[in-house]
Order: sequence, then C-alpha cells, then structure tokens
Amino acid sequence: MTSRRRWPLVTAAAIGVALVLAPVVFQMFTRAPEGGTMIKGFKPYMTTETIATFRGDLAVIGSASHEVTALQGRIPRTDPGIATFQQRWPGIDADMSAMLSTMAANLGHYQGVAALPPFVLFPWFFVLPGIFVVALAVLGLRAPPQSTRTSRLRIALAVLGVGIIAAPAIFQMFTRAPGGSKMINAFRPLMTTAKVTKIQGYFLTIGDGEGELRLDVVPQLTAAAVPASELDAITTFTDQWPTIASTMAPMIGAMSDNVGNYDAVKALPPFWLFPWFFVVPGLLVAVLAVFSRPSRRLGIAPAARAESVGFTLQGASP
Amino acid sequence: MTRSATAAIAALALALVVLASCSSNAKSSSGTTLAGLFTIEAGSCAAGSPSGSYFEMVQSGGTVSTGPFVSNPDSTCTNQAITPLSPGSDGGLRAGSYQPEPATPFAAKGNSAAASVIEPQAFFAVSFGVSTNPTDPQTGHHVPAPTVTEAGDQLHADLSAWSVSWNGQQFNQGAPKPAAVGSAATGTYDATSGAYTLQWTSLIKGGPFNGFTGIWHLVGTVQHS
Repeated sequence: MTSRRRWPLVTAAAIGVALVLAPVVFQMFTRAPEGGTMIKGFKPYMTTETIATFRGDLAVIGSASHEVTALQGRIPRTDPGIATFQQRWPGIDADMSAMLSTMAANLGHYQGVAALPPFVLFPWFFVLPGIFVVALAVLGLRAPPQSTRTSRLRIALAVLGVGIIAAPAIFQMFTRAPGGSKMINAFRPLMTTAKVTKIQGYFLTIGDGEGELRLDVVPQLTAAAVPASELDAITTFTDQWPTIASTMAPMIGAMSDNVGNYDAVKALPPFWLFPWFFVVPGLLVAVLAVFSRPSRRLGIAPAARAESVGFTLQGASP
Repeated sequence: MTRSATAAIAALALALVVLASCSSNAKSSSGTTLAGLFTIEAGSCAAGSPSGSYFEMVQSGGTVSTGPFVSNPDSTCTNQAITPLSPGSDGGLRAGSYQPEPATPFAAKGNSAAASVIEPQAFFAVSFGVSTNPTDPQTGHHVPAPTVTEAGDQLHADLSAWSVSWNGQQFNQGAPKPAAVGSAATGTYDATSGAYTLQWTSLIKGGPFNGFTGIWHLVGTVQHS
C-alpha cells in the first residue's frame, strides 16, 4: 500500500493562490492598462524618424536665434517676446536635445516593451495559471493516491509549472523586461508634472518669439531694406513654425497625458523582476508536482508492512 | 358633456401642451430657456481695454484674476493676452441645437476648419475654431446642445459642448465640463434690446495645454428662433 505526500500539493495550491492574488496586490488590473496606454501614446514619437525631425526643428529654431543675434544691432526695437526667446533658447535647446537623446537611447527598449503582449493582459498571465495550479492541486489532493487520475493530475501540474517557466522565454521577457526597466528609469526626470509644465513654457516662449519675428521683425527689417538672404534662417523658422508646432504640441500633449500612466507603471514592481515572477513559481510548482508522487515508504499500514515482511522472509527461507 | 366633446377638449389641451413645449422660450421652474442664435459681437481692443467677444488663457498654476496669461503673438491687441473673437458663418452660437465641426476638422497646417460659431482665430500661427457636437471630440462624452436659461436679467448656460480645435488637437472648453463637472457659464440679458453677455472659465484637461484655463467672454444679441 502506498500514501501520498500532501504538503507538496498544499504548497502548490498556495503558490497558485499567490499567483492569483499578485495582480490584486500590485494593482495590476488598473496599472497595467495605464502602462499600455502610455506605450501607445508614445508610439508616434519613439521612432528614429520622429526624433530626427525634432532635432531638425531644433536646428531650424537655433539657426533663427543665431540670425537674430547677428541682426541685433539692426532690429529697430527689441520685442519682449524675442528678448525672452533669445535669452532662454540656449537652455531650451540643451534641455530638449537631452530629452531627444534620452528618447533615442531608449528606442530599442521601447520597441522591446511595445512588442510584449498587450499590457491589459498582464494580470491575467498571473491569474489564469494561478487558477489552474490551484485547481490541479486541489483535485490531486482529493483523488485516490494510487489512481491513474492522480498520476495524470500530477503530470498536468508539472507541465503547467514548466509552461509557467517557459512563458517569459517565449515572450522574450528576459531581454525586453530589463530594457523596460531601463527605459522607465531613464524617463523618470521627464515624466513629471513639473517637467511637462516647463516644456509647455518652452512652447510658449518659442511661439511668442516666432510670432514677433514673423509679425514685427521681418516686416520692419524688410522695410529697412535688409536683404532677404540675411533673414533666411528667420523666415525658414517662421515658415516652418506651424509644422513644427503641429508636431511639438502633440508631443507635449502625449507627455502631459501620460504623467499619470507613467506613475502607475513606476508603481509596479521593477520590470526586470517580471520574468522571475513566472520562473520561480513555475519551477516550484513543477518540483512540487514531482514531489507529490505517492511514497512507498511513508504511510504504509502496519498490517501491510507485516505481510510484506512475512512474504520476504518466506521467500528467503530454504 | 358628450364623449366627443370631452375628446375634443382633451385634444385641445394636448395641442396647447405641445405648443408650449415647442415654444422657443420655454418657461421652466428655474427660468426661461432661450433658444435661437446668440450673435457674437466681434472683439476689439481699439479703446485700450477689450470690448466685444474675446478669449484669454491662464497658464498652468496661474489664477483667473492675476494670470500669468498666455500671450498670443497673433493677437491684434496691444495686450496680447486678449485674443478678439469674430462671428463665424452662422453669426454666433446656436442655443438648442449643435453646430458640429466638419467631417475633416482641420485644414492645412493644423488650422481649424470649424468656422460656424466663430471665425477661426490665429493662435501661435495656427487658427483655432469652435464647434458644438453631440459627442465631445476630446473626451468622447455625450454632451447636451448649448442651453441658455434666463432668470430675471441673469443668464445661466450649459455650454459643455463648446469644443475648440487647434493644431490637430481637440480641447473641450465647455462650462460645465462634460459629465457636469464644474460651473456653468453665466451672464446678463436685456429682454428689451436682446443684448446679452456670457462668460465662463474652463480648465483644459489633457493635451499640450493641460492645466491651462480658458476664459471666454461673449457679447452680442439674442435672435430668438
């Protein structure tokens, strides 16, 4: 007669419950979709082409600023908007350029995270395997120890454990999740309300400067017979400003709209830990399934043991 | 009374109720609802201080009374915090019905194509326009058609459908905000001349001007429908 070890299945059931509860504890049902919204919101801007366009826009504005400096003595009057623009532009340029560099450095990380399954599904990657683990463990505990059914349930539990281990590898989480962690950390200084307010101010400063260049300075200098070639960078800026504004404003909007979403993602456990949230429980479940095999030593009834010993002795006698 | 006479009286009473409810100026317990066109008198800064209809925007963290205000370089006013408004193709705001934005809400360079309420006005080189739509383009909320109620000489208006399009972006600038958040627009009304004023503030939620506050002043006359 054999007996089953109960503790491996009880422990497996507890791990299953932990998997089910993990998304609740980490508030993944609300935070993960917000993360998905953020990834979607950044999509138009996290490309090499868009970053190159923004860099080109900064160069256009910078050239105009240099030209204003060169024309300073000939500008009839200094508009306050232009003075503010000229004063703040170097800082704006440096800050925006640094932001674009951060974006460029994290393009690969972003693409890796964006290629993960939809964030809205993340909690269910814990809940569903957890439910199956609990169900198999409970059924295993209730089934007769030596039955074929028990054996099948044990095998199913082991396979489920292996499946949970394999999931992060299938989704390439071992490479993508640490990249996501790096991206989240890199964006930390950018994704704050204070930073977004500062960048909103950049837009107003540039826009105010552009308006005064377009409406005041260029007409005045043109009237003063300043050659158009000397206003080339300024007119390029004013001509392109609506286009620049049409890309810059939505990007500021995307940053602003996703500050809360970023905070939600930041509040989740670090991304690099996520693969291990599958591997460790999966490994434990698989090992526990193996350990739950019925024992031939433990729990053998005394009568059966005596019978067995007697048989051995009889068989051994001459 | 015969049965046919009773039926005739009932039909007459019903007709009177229907007529009353269809009236342009339906009376309710909280005042008279004014339906029709609220013409927009063009804004001007010719006298130094603004007159007519105009728009201002308070920067994030500022206050409606002290600002700081956004200076619009395209404003024709000396004080460029004031952006004068001009009537659109409909002549102004229709109360009791929508003035939706066109199917293609933006023209070239992000300029608004919504031109029925106000004539699109340049704001940082890109024109903004106003529309009122059953579904607010920014929030996706269903919003009622503009409703203006008169009580004495005071106006109270639900302008939650007031939507601004600019630079490829949509901004709800209603009062109250969709889902009845915040205060309604208020104003004055002279029943004799039809002259009205309406003013309201609306916090911008989301987008590049998130946290900024729009301040709207409309002046004109009511043309009852």
